[in-house]
Amino acid sequence: MSYSTENRFIKISIIFSFISLALGGLFGLIQLLARTPYILNIDPQIYYMVLTGHGVLMAIVWTAFFIMGIAVFVTTRVLKVNLNKVLLNSSLILSLIGTILAAIAILSGQANVLYTFYPPLKAHPLFYLGAAILVIGTWIFAVAIFLAFLSWRKSHKKEAIPLPIYGVIATLIVWLEATPGLAIEVLKDLIPMSLFGSPVDVLEARTYFWYFGHPLVYFWLIPAITLWYFTIPRILNTELFSETMAKVVFILFIITSTPVGIHHQLVDTGIDPSYKYLHTVLTYTVAIASFLTAFNIIATLEKSYREKGGRKLFGWIKNQPWNNPVFASLGLAFIIFGLGGIGGIINASYSLNYIVHNTVWIVGHFHTMVGTAVTLTFMGATYLLSPFIFGRNIFSGRLALWQPYLWFVGMMIFSLSYHIAGIFGMPRRTSSILSYSPIPSEWVYLSQIAMIGGLILFLSGVLFISNIGLTLIKGPVISMNGESLNIDPKPNTMFDNLKIWIIIAVILIIVAYILPFMEIYTRGLSPVQPRLP
Amino acid sequence: MNKIEKIWAGIVIAILALFLSTLAYSITIGYNPPSSGALCLPADLEKFNPGVIEREPGVYEVNILAKQYYFEPFKITLKNPKKIIFRITSIDVIHGFSIVGTNVNVMVFPGYFTIVTWEPPQNDQREFLIICNEYCGTYHSTMYSKLIIER
Repeated sequence: MSYSTENRFIKISIIFSFISLALGGLFGLIQLLARTPYILNIDPQIYYMVLTGHGVLMAIVWTAFFIMGIAVFVTTRVLKVNLNKVLLNSSLILSLIGTILAAIAILSGQANVLYTFYPPLKAHPLFYLGAAILVIGTWIFAVAIFLAFLSWRKSHKKEAIPLPIYGVIATLIVWLEATPGLAIEVLKDLIPMSLFGSPVDVLEARTYFWYFGHPLVYFWLIPAITLWYFTIPRILNTELFSETMAKVVFILFIITSTPVGIHHQLVDTGIDPSYKYLHTVLTYTVAIASFLTAFNIIATLEKSYREKGGRKLFGWIKNQPWNNPVFASLGLAFIIFGLGGIGGIINASYSLNYIVHNTVWIVGHFHTMVGTAVTLTFMGATYLLSPFIFGRNIFSGRLALWQPYLWFVGMMIFSLSYHIAGIFGMPRRTSSILSYSPIPSEWVYLSQIAMIGGLILFLSGVLFISNIGLTLIKGPVISMNGESLNIDPKPNTMFDNLKIWIIIAVILIIVAYILPFMEIYTRGLSPVQPRLP
Repeated sequence: MNKIEKIWAGIVIAILALFLSTLAYSITIGYNPPSSGALCLPADLEKFNPGVIEREPGVYEVNILAKQYYFEPFKITLKNPKKIIFRITSIDVIHGFSIVGTNVNVMVFPGYFTIVTWEPPQNDQREFLIICNEYCGTYHSTMYSKLIIER
């Protein structure tokens, strides 16, 4: 079977994601040095341009393009099907054009609105237009994958859906549940605001944004979890502890990842406390999925240790292939996922949130999740899949082994100090903490400790990018054309019937959001004029 | 799913139910996040006077207007406050209102009033730093004010 169109798609989207990661990382370094007192003094306009760029590149571009590349790889190789060429090519072109338009707006300093772009702060129309085109590109992409999946399903009705495919499909379902919120906000509010200066109701726009903003998190996380489920047992030469539980996790994500967005708006005025509490409860339901994932992975590690004759109670922690770069990346990402998950429960708590809201605690939190659980897993997956995707082995295995450990240490230092500084009320999204008076002393030394962690992270990022760059140019060539991943077929069960779960998800989303939106619309809107940042 | 998984799922649900019930309990004793929802239409904004009103002994209503890039009034001094009701709105973009070191931390929207009631720690006299903690434009980091509590 020839995968030439698919392989081109995979290469372009993954290499583009690495370019975004490199640029986003450089922006991260600039921000880090500017925020730490007495290190680097830059113009605040540049700071917020860099901050917008860092957020958009890392949270959206790096993750989305990597995920699209991996999704095509997994779908074609596991199902042994071709994707619709026209859809695939047009989705790639639209996604790239959208990203480049938004990037032009950001880099020219005309979109200093950060990656949440709350109105009435106004950016150049290209920024919103680019976002809209990117989203349309991803929708076409989802259609291409779904068509291939459905045609496979038609001829394999009695088989269970292979787990990695289940992960791909769950990711795309969550994306399709989430993105209408963004589409409505951009088309109804932001593009008219930016083009014609139309007034915008701030609360309405924020509610649409967070309808999209939280499931975005699971759009990153489900692929990472899928990679753990698929890769860790293969490295250990065993089976996943429970495939059923893994599917239950994906189903829980499909059902509960979207109706939770208001936990980002717990201290917003204009949303009834009972709706806030409802979204807290639903967020705790989606936390069950993370707890089950943690159990399944740990149980797999222990199972493999016992199978090899291990007897000690905690021997399964040490006796793992920690000197394998792929295992080390995934394992360390998994540990930080556990810590970050506990922080997430605090963030979503109805009456704890106002201690940490808009402080650097939040920054510390999402760097554990998207910044490590997801990013470090994707880096590990790159080490694993480089021969398949680029036809080359990794240039330096030794650098690839150092890199995840450096990332882990850097992130622990960085995110722990930010978590603590957040409890002392240090704000996020500020170009300098020195202008406040009197400035709490904890802010200063915790920023300085965080900087050390950030520098280690940057070093680790440089190792990754240069190792990958050298792999593409000088990595040992190996031929792996036409390869496929073989998964033994298993019988179909109730967990493979996705229709029911999608219907339940839609009902739950309607229930959770109809009440707050009715409150907002029956009270009447209070639109205000747009402003430049 | 086998037995050990079911036990774990039960433990997880029990832990989360415990957390949720503590949060529900905090509602019954009045710890609700500020949610008022009062609109601030242009006419309301014209009538809005930033400043302090003492409603009854020890109970203050503090009206604050947030703008790019300052709070009005800049300095608030209160004598023996038992209860402070902040009524805050914005004239331009979204701002934050955080009294550093306390649990007062709310969003401020143009077009809406944010109303938050705070009972400051008794016998505590000091100067609190109030900061805007939501990005509001280029000079966001210079936006702060002071609350001085005298006893």
